[in-house]
Amino acid sequence: MSPPETLVDKLDSPWLGVVLGVAAVLGMLTVNVLFLVWLERKVSAWIQRRMGPTEVGPFGLFQTLADMLKLLSKQLITPRHVDKPLYHLAPLVVFVPVVAAASLFPFSAGLVLQDLDIGLVLVFAFGGLAFVGIFMAGWGSNNKYALLGAMRSVAQNISYEIPLILASLSVVLMSGTMNLAKITALQSERGYWFIVLQPVAAVIYFIAALAETNRAPFDIPEAESELVAGFHTEYSGMRFALFFFAEYSNVFIVSMVATVLFLGGWSGPLLPGPVWFFLKVYALVGLTMWVRWTFPRLRFDQLMSFCWVVLTPLAILNLLITAFVARLV
Amino acid sequence: MSTVTGLLMAIAICGALLAVSLKNVLHAIFGLAITLLALAGLFMVLGSPFVAAMEVLIYVGGISVAMVFAVMLSTVVPKHAAETSLRKGAAALVALTFLLGVGAIVVGADLPSTSAPTLPAELWSVAHLGTALLDHYNLVFEVLSVVLLVAIIGAIVISRREEEHTES
Repeated sequence: MSPPETLVDKLDSPWLGVVLGVAAVLGMLTVNVLFLVWLERKVSAWIQRRMGPTEVGPFGLFQTLADMLKLLSKQLITPRHVDKPLYHLAPLVVFVPVVAAASLFPFSAGLVLQDLDIGLVLVFAFGGLAFVGIFMAGWGSNNKYALLGAMRSVAQNISYEIPLILASLSVVLMSGTMNLAKITALQSERGYWFIVLQPVAAVIYFIAALAETNRAPFDIPEAESELVAGFHTEYSGMRFALFFFAEYSNVFIVSMVATVLFLGGWSGPLLPGPVWFFLKVYALVGLTMWVRWTFPRLRFDQLMSFCWVVLTPLAILNLLITAFVARLV
Repeated sequence: MSTVTGLLMAIAICGALLAVSLKNVLHAIFGLAITLLALAGLFMVLGSPFVAAMEVLIYVGGISVAMVFAVMLSTVVPKHAAETSLRKGAAALVALTFLLGVGAIVVGADLPSTSAPTLPAELWSVAHLGTALLDHYNLVFEVLSVVLLVAIIGAIVISRREEEHTES
């Protein structure tokens, strides 16, 4: 069986496909990140009974665009005592995997840039690459707040990656594939979303994803009152913007994974596939914002023990039960 | 040998040279990460994207990060204090034995002379790898699990002993 024709296959030259694909993914991410930042400010304002951005554009929609232009034109300051190679490489090492991971998602039937059988593993692999970049930033900055922030961030990410992957594996066991497009197709074929059969996995995934993206109540790596801004304290201008971009893209990516695994991806009645896909993604993004602005921050030891004592055993148990049931059915 | 394969091999060797030659331990670890990434690329060229993804997930995202943690959490040793000639000799001996062992395996194995993927794609599929691991290579798999278990228990024992030391 030959794989279904993807956008890249339709082009003559594979290199042209790569260039166009990267441009398309970057464009998609940029638009969504700009919108996400605006949405976050509006949602937080709404929760705190404020107005949020109102000045630039209708409903302040162009505020983040203006912010981005400001960051682009800012002077790049390199502090004197930084570890130069690591300091300069870090933003790229954090940023590039995000773009690579975003190119793997099926927005609709056939509308997928890279249709790979190991799509899910690759998304997690690219997520893991970013840890190295965070460490490079924390160490390279030669600043105690940055170093502490990086250590917290990576310790938290490594720990929560385990329940995250275990919860996703429950879905993989049920569908028998790690191809993101096939997982989605399977759900529309069977007529139900996997969240119906895997509610526990879905909740574990959502909590772990909040921690993976360093979002409140798990935003300990950037606890302003303790650590200034965490691992990117010493970065300014466009270098800071790259970290910021990667962070919001990560929120978007974990929501896309959740949409594919638990909410049936592009499948839905009446509306076209991409509309359903983005509606579901934005519903999840909205949920993470709601959580961020209504829950207080956890303490670091609470965070770690919650992961290792509650979440991981629960995820293993869920996986075992799923394996037995999948074997019996 | 294609250009991509050659380039990846060159990157892998450069990363390895960085890893052994740089004085700063953290820089050395990031050099190792470069080598591991290049190895993942080589697996990709050889036709197994799954093994490539696992290489990145476990070795770059896991092992090298764990190494950075180990360096940061251990106490700072004054420069070159640990490098006695006895230790250098022992390290050289271990490295040489390992090199000869791996060399013997490579020479002894009947390797194909081309760098193109020689096995059909089905043999590299996730399902086939999983079956092979739990079926044909079951014993090796279990032994590796026991080794990991021993390492975990060892780590717990060592950290517990240090805790008692600091308390008393």
